[in-house]
Amino acid sequence: MIPYPVLTTTTFLPLVGAAFILLFGSERVARWVALITTLVTLTASLPLYLFFDKASSALQFVESADWIPSLNIAYGMGVDGISLPFIFLATLLTILCIGASWEAIRVRVREFYAALLVAETAMIGLFSASNLFLFFVFWELMLVPVFLLIGVWGGPGRVYASIKFLVFTFSGSVLMLVGMIAIYRSCGTLDFKALALARASLQPADQAWLFAAFLAAFAVKVPMFPLHTWLPNAHTEAPTAGSVILAGILLKMGAYGFLRVSLPILPQGVQLFLKPMLIISVVAIVWGAYVTLVQTDVKRLIAFSSVSHMGFVTLGIFTLNPGGVEGAILQMINHGIISAALFLCVGMIYERTHTREIKDYGGVAKTAPVYSTLLALFCLAAAGTPGLNSFVGEFLIVGGAFKTQAWLGAMAVWGVALGTAYLIWLYYRVVMGEMNPGLTGLKLELNAREVATLAPLAALAVCLGLYPECVLSYLRAPVTQLLATRIAP
Amino acid sequence: MSDLALLIPELILVVMAVGLILVARRIQRTPVAPVGTVFAAMAAALASGWVLSWGSKTGFGGMIILDGYSQFFKILSAATLALAVLLSVRSLDGEQVPRAEYHALLLLATTGMMLAVSAHDLLPLYLSLETMTLCSYILVGIRVERPSSNEAAIKYFLLGSFASALLIYGISLTYGVTGTTDFAGITAALSGHGPGTNLLLLVAIGLVSAGLAFKIAAVPLHAWAPDAYQGASAPVAAFLAAGSKAVGLAALGRVCLAAYSSEGHVLSAVLAWLAGLSIVVGSIIALSQTDMKRLLAYSSITHAGYALLGLIAGTPDGASATMTYAFFYVFMTLGAFGVVIALGERGEKLDGYRGLAAQRPGTAVLMLVFLMSLIGIPPTAGFAAKFVVILSVVRSGHMALAVLAVVCSVVSAFFYMRVAVFMYMNEPQESPPARFPVAVFAALAVAALVTVIGGISPGSLAPWAVSP
Repeated sequence: MIPYPVLTTTTFLPLVGAAFILLFGSERVARWVALITTLVTLTASLPLYLFFDKASSALQFVESADWIPSLNIAYGMGVDGISLPFIFLATLLTILCIGASWEAIRVRVREFYAALLVAETAMIGLFSASNLFLFFVFWELMLVPVFLLIGVWGGPGRVYASIKFLVFTFSGSVLMLVGMIAIYRSCGTLDFKALALARASLQPADQAWLFAAFLAAFAVKVPMFPLHTWLPNAHTEAPTAGSVILAGILLKMGAYGFLRVSLPILPQGVQLFLKPMLIISVVAIVWGAYVTLVQTDVKRLIAFSSVSHMGFVTLGIFTLNPGGVEGAILQMINHGIISAALFLCVGMIYERTHTREIKDYGGVAKTAPVYSTLLALFCLAAAGTPGLNSFVGEFLIVGGAFKTQAWLGAMAVWGVALGTAYLIWLYYRVVMGEMNPGLTGLKLELNAREVATLAPLAALAVCLGLYPECVLSYLRAPVTQLLATRIAP
Repeated sequence: MSDLALLIPELILVVMAVGLILVARRIQRTPVAPVGTVFAAMAAALASGWVLSWGSKTGFGGMIILDGYSQFFKILSAATLALAVLLSVRSLDGEQVPRAEYHALLLLATTGMMLAVSAHDLLPLYLSLETMTLCSYILVGIRVERPSSNEAAIKYFLLGSFASALLIYGISLTYGVTGTTDFAGITAALSGHGPGTNLLLLVAIGLVSAGLAFKIAAVPLHAWAPDAYQGASAPVAAFLAAGSKAVGLAALGRVCLAAYSSEGHVLSAVLAWLAGLSIVVGSIIALSQTDMKRLLAYSSITHAGYALLGLIAGTPDGASATMTYAFFYVFMTLGAFGVVIALGERGEKLDGYRGLAAQRPGTAVLMLVFLMSLIGIPPTAGFAAKFVVILSVVRSGHMALAVLAVVCSVVSAFFYMRVAVFMYMNEPQESPPARFPVAVFAALAVAALVTVIGGISPGSLAPWAVSP
């Protein structure tokens, strides 16, 4: 039907682009090569959406090849309705990252785009992997390009931020490595589908500590309270493209891990840790929102808002009912779109003003109406306004939480209210009111390239808000399957 | 005659070494010595493979064994020799080092390594290891006009002699208990005893393990490595870090599985302690190093610990995990040393790496690949190596040790990545380093290829990694 292996091609095209840039590209053509590579990657991935069977919960576009026969580890790719939206998000956001970096990145241009493209390979590969080994390889592959993106092209505190990011995420993932090896020893396979069947050979006691080992990796990436402390540094110091990748995709990798590994393979471990997971999720929501309120740095504010928003995601996942889980996945996509958009907005204005302090802004609307309109749209979307995308996700999650335990739902609603507060207040201080004297004389309005960068995200925010079914319809079958197998002993 | 045929690879190296010494005066200013040595190494590697095609056999009255295990390490030793020679091309230029003798010593040390991995008796094992170590002492101190080099050689010699004494003492006690030094004979003699009953034997095992632990620089017998590496020229340090370690591991693996297998429990405990201590101590002390050769010395101590993890299980699977680890370790560590050598004086201190990526992006990427591999980040060979040894530990049930090992790999990620931080995230403070010679480039390319291909397709090595 399709003349090429779609997933493998989509995954490794960016890597080819990166190699090309490093080997042959000059500083001038690097960004063009990167742009073309990412556009071709998106085009190559189109068959995934055109020929996907939404009614099936099985992995589709499956590719498989021998890899390490002595260990019975195969190279396996495949997507289901849960992973598909993330592949789209990853391919789209990378293109937008290039748009945002077009003029902002002036030093070491080749390495920048190469690192970005390697990161894209890691992201797409992670969501396409159909076995745990490959999942882990891509998980770790993400580490070094993001480390470099933060540390080389970031802000003043970039070195500290990048090392903190490295140490936190690597600490988590090495524990996942031990967990993975222990699973392999017990089950003799690392294929996701085979593991879901072979999980009976994992004793409940083993499941508990295995869950803890994987939790270490996933909780750092999500990030869950109290392991989130790397996030404000990393997101704030990273260049715009780095923040977009971090907030848009990297944070979703952890939550995706829960869906791909913890829930299907370690049901008893999940059951054991259910209460603590729910509690730290609502703590993240409420506490994260309060911390966000008091931030004085725009980028840091948005970074902290991710802690609160990702709290919703983990809350939804661990409600373990269809509404909550579907809402959580939808909210991961929503957050990927909105936080990416907010970081892009902040980055665009930072390039003009070179300040991130909220008090240095004010009255931006007077000279930059288009920018202010778009920012308003994204702030409202992030706050969960009906008609925009986050509303649906948060509604489903809160509904799921009420079904589990009413007080969880109540706390989550409290978080929504606080979210509205910090976003509207941010918008008020930056855009409304009198023009800050420091901003006079600056040309704040967006140019065509920047509008084009934000437009797809704005369109998505509206589309998903008005017709969430376009993502939810993908999720229904796999989520039903996920929860059904989980409940069975 | 047929017995001598088993030693064709070693004979090639010895003939080349003797030849170099005979014509030493004439070739001092010519590239004959390095070129000849590289070809001899390649010939020895090919011969090792060819000899294996006759099948496994023993010779010299059972003292020498030829099997997949021995030939695997012989080829690895030959590769180490070839890469070390390529890497020393430029660093010899500015020094008062006699070329022919230098290469002859490398050849003889490699001969010792090759004999050690095919020894099937404690005495040939001891003698061949001593051949290797004696040559190493001289190689470390070969830059005679440098006090640091002399100091390093003396330290290495004193500690090395002490370790050799431990080894020979252990061998004599073993002889006292079993009446033989032959591995097969020891196994046969011990099969009658209940494990752990003979105190004298336990002491013997401890002493032999200690003697071999010195060769791989496992804690607590690691103290020589940082000083020796720092004082030696970088190529010699690379040769020691790669070759001496691989051979020590090979010998330890053979002794554990072929000679003292009946005392598996004791050996497991000893090896687990050696491994755990090496990993913890090596990675923590490495944090404070500012000299690259010292940093890599502590890194090599840590890696000795990781490699030992495979032997703890005392199973053939575990031993082949250690073989895989040793193989990949040799190439990644030679690669990292290769970058140090390629940068000349500047490469020997951590500060010299500031801003390297802006000046020499290609070299920086190479170093990054080797660092990733040393940390064990996929898709590099280091990850494949780490995966198999940790799998072996988990299989043997030492879960706590597995967790300790991976947690320490975070610590080591921190000190390796410090180099990456200096390369990528700091401004250059020195003028760009000179272009490096083709030979160094060739060695780096080989090391990088093995490191990357080993990571992408680790299974391709598996058919050869067969335990004794």
